[in-house]
Amino acid sequence: MASLILLAIYIGIAAFGPCLAPYASSEIAGSPLEEPGRLHLLGTNDLGQDIFSNLLCGARATLVLGFLGALLSVLTALTFGTISAYYGGRTDEIISRIVDIMMTLPGFPLLIVLVVFLPSSIFIMAAIMGLLGGLQGIRIIRSQVLSISRAEYIYGTRALGASDHYIMSRHILPGILPLAAVTFINAAQRFMLMGVGLGFLGLGDPNVVDWGQMISRAYSNGGFALGLWWWLLPPGLAVVLLSMTLALIGYGLEEEIEPRLKNINNSKWFTNGYARNN
Amino acid sequence: MRIEYLAWRIFYSLLAFVISVTLSFVLLHAMPGDYLHVILPHLAEKNPLATELFREQFGLDKSLFEQYVLYVLNVLQGNWGYSIQYGLPVTEVILEKLSWTAVILLPATLLSIFIGVLIGSYSGWTSGSLGDSFIFKIMIFLGAVPSYWWAIFLILVLGFYLDLFPLGGYMSITALDEGMKLHDVLYHAALPIVALTLTTVPGVYYLMRNSMLMIVGQDYILAARSKGLSEIEILLRHALKNAMLPMITLFAMELAHVIMGSIFIETIFSWPGMGFLTFEALRVRDLPLLQGIFLMDTLIIILANIAADFSYPLIDPRAKVGEIG
Amino acid sequence: MLEIINLKTQFPSPDGLVNAVDSADLQIEDNERLGLIGETGCGKTVLGMSIIRLLPPSTRIHGQIIYKGRDLLNLKEEEMRLLRGKEISMILQNPTTSLNPVLKIGDQIAEVIQLHKDCNRKEAKTKAVEILAAAMIPEAPKRADQYPHELSGGMKERVMIVMGLASQPSFVIADEPTKGLDSGTKAEIIRLIRDMTSGRSMLMITHDLAAAGEICDRIAVMYAGELLEMASAKTILHDPQHPYTQGFINSLPSRGLLPISGSSPSLIDPPHGCRFHPRCPWAMDICRREHPQIIKLEKGHFSRCFLCA
Repeated sequence: MASLILLAIYIGIAAFGPCLAPYASSEIAGSPLEEPGRLHLLGTNDLGQDIFSNLLCGARATLVLGFLGALLSVLTALTFGTISAYYGGRTDEIISRIVDIMMTLPGFPLLIVLVVFLPSSIFIMAAIMGLLGGLQGIRIIRSQVLSISRAEYIYGTRALGASDHYIMSRHILPGILPLAAVTFINAAQRFMLMGVGLGFLGLGDPNVVDWGQMISRAYSNGGFALGLWWWLLPPGLAVVLLSMTLALIGYGLEEEIEPRLKNINNSKWFTNGYARNN
Repeated sequence: MRIEYLAWRIFYSLLAFVISVTLSFVLLHAMPGDYLHVILPHLAEKNPLATELFREQFGLDKSLFEQYVLYVLNVLQGNWGYSIQYGLPVTEVILEKLSWTAVILLPATLLSIFIGVLIGSYSGWTSGSLGDSFIFKIMIFLGAVPSYWWAIFLILVLGFYLDLFPLGGYMSITALDEGMKLHDVLYHAALPIVALTLTTVPGVYYLMRNSMLMIVGQDYILAARSKGLSEIEILLRHALKNAMLPMITLFAMELAHVIMGSIFIETIFSWPGMGFLTFEALRVRDLPLLQGIFLMDTLIIILANIAADFSYPLIDPRAKVGEIG
Repeated sequence: MLEIINLKTQFPSPDGLVNAVDSADLQIEDNERLGLIGETGCGKTVLGMSIIRLLPPSTRIHGQIIYKGRDLLNLKEEEMRLLRGKEISMILQNPTTSLNPVLKIGDQIAEVIQLHKDCNRKEAKTKAVEILAAAMIPEAPKRADQYPHELSGGMKERVMIVMGLASQPSFVIADEPTKGLDSGTKAEIIRLIRDMTSGRSMLMITHDLAAAGEICDRIAVMYAGELLEMASAKTILHDPQHPYTQGFINSLPSRGLLPISGSSPSLIDPPHGCRFHPRCPWAMDICRREHPQIIKLEKGHFSRCFLCA
């Protein structure tokens, strides 16, 4: 619950950050490297930009990237996973093989190489992440769809002459939506961390402020040597908190949809069996 | 069954490698302007000899298709081009950095597997207990923290404020006079190793816990109980070995994450390994070096996968190479 | 030797409380082999597991299980553990999953011997090979060095039996030792069990009435968590009094494979009255209304049926 509120705050900041910020993100608002004070809540960087304002404005890039990427990745996984499982046969074979091969490639380096060569924009980054990340999801969705469509009611409806479209939208989709939601949250979390990482590596969109760039700037311009915590920590902390929030939501969702699995475990008689009961 | 499986795995690996070679070729050539002609002047400044070799090796005047064939042949022979930044063959630069990465990656991997197996098997064995849910929740938090945060945090707290460890680098300035000393390098490696361990422990933990959860319900554990063995004897003799099986693949994959796992940590600690090299290559857009790193990483992952497949039978008697089953 | 008094074993499930064993009374004398037969899911395995106390922690067990004067259900887990394998041992069903796949056969047997027979690892291993050989397992030293997956199903079953008896326990629970074996192997396994358990007490859980008839002195019939009939093996096979036992015998391949109509009832919400009445060809009014008590027909022959009253 607390994590939902936190996420809402983050989304609020991402939406209205630039309005809330006391200074514009690129504005030289004070003298360089000021300590946190009343004028500058979190001090200023080497150029004299207000760190608090940058922090608020930077939220947007990270959140947009994460959620957009996650959306794309879930859509990819859903589309191909369902097609693969539902039609089976050669379609399934081809999709599964492509996934197999792609999974052998190192994901993050591939992402870096692609991002370097393609024009840098949040949307392109989100697209690449979404596609690469979606590949992994295909397997998960595929096996879930398989287990649902093996269930007898599908055979029942098929025997009654229901169309593929009807079966998919009425029986299969509702069955995989919870799983898709978990996948979405987990992907968003991963992509946000990656996005900040890419920003740190100097691969972010140069026209947008993001937390990764802020860390990178602090790192390469002497933040450590001088021990300027207000320059180094806030963007990092912002990411960590966001990531934990999403992780908790993801975990909560999983708990919500897993009980079926747990019951199966409990009802297996001899699991975990030392009888302490007298 | 098993031979067929291994054959497929090797086939996929080859295919994946061909794809990544093709990909790096396409990307290098799709750059604005002719990549090779852009690079040559840079290279000439640093190493005139390299330019000649380069021109000859990659057949710059030939058709695109011929260039591709030449490129593939070169890659297979280990000629991966020349780094703009260093003016040296890419493979040479990479191999030197790889050993530095190994210095932190190997201990960190061993450490995280040790810790992860320990708490993961405890957690899985006592699943549902207070201890288990406590560790599980901590791991959710730990798993959500990105590697760069650990690096920043450790440097700032232990390096800067407490002054216990260096802020980065791999040896002290005094080493310039006295030569490199092992304990000095280890002293510099300590924090990166800790940071790397912290980032990899949650993954090992989850895998181990799940693996243990599967095993707790197995009949042979019940059989062990019916023999009158104590819980700890059952855990050590019967459960652990089975639960450790997936660790082989994990170990291989961890080692293969030469770049992924350590790029931020190495960069922030200025540790001269593959990760830092990647960062530098990105900063100056040293594309030949970058594609080399990418190829090397693909190669390492592929080799690690194959190694894991083949070492599996050493631990699991059911999976003898070439045997049916 | 062993006396079970009013045993009730229940465990929670998502659909409600499962009454796996309901008010069971049973005695096993010294050197007596008792067969417990019934359909799959009637609670016979749970009854066995209740004795050796290897059920999940959420299980509720009521009643008394008196073994050599001590109530097993009142023992602390640690005391119970010291009895397991040494005094009371169990031959689990499904040898394929009950043998640890990554440990050698010899080591798995030696483990029990070492634990209970006060000897070192090497002696235990030698002993393990000896008893493997005694169980007519060809090439015993070689077998001991093999892993479970290298053995045939019948061979694995032999190993299970040897393992269960390696520490020479005074009471053995054998769970479906003849399940899934072809008839030749089954005959050998039956002979092996008979030889190796002579001079011991045994509870043999099985749905194989013929096997129980060959091995056991007495047979108890279980249905939906309840004991329905109990008598000497000969009486059960040739003169059964309970309609369920009669039906069970008629369903044997040698008696024409006539299955009992209907399916076994749920253990969560068993039928009112006699639990067998929905499937009983002679069901009367009273069978629907009232729950029959177990009654003594003659010496050593008990039945839970209004027809026998």
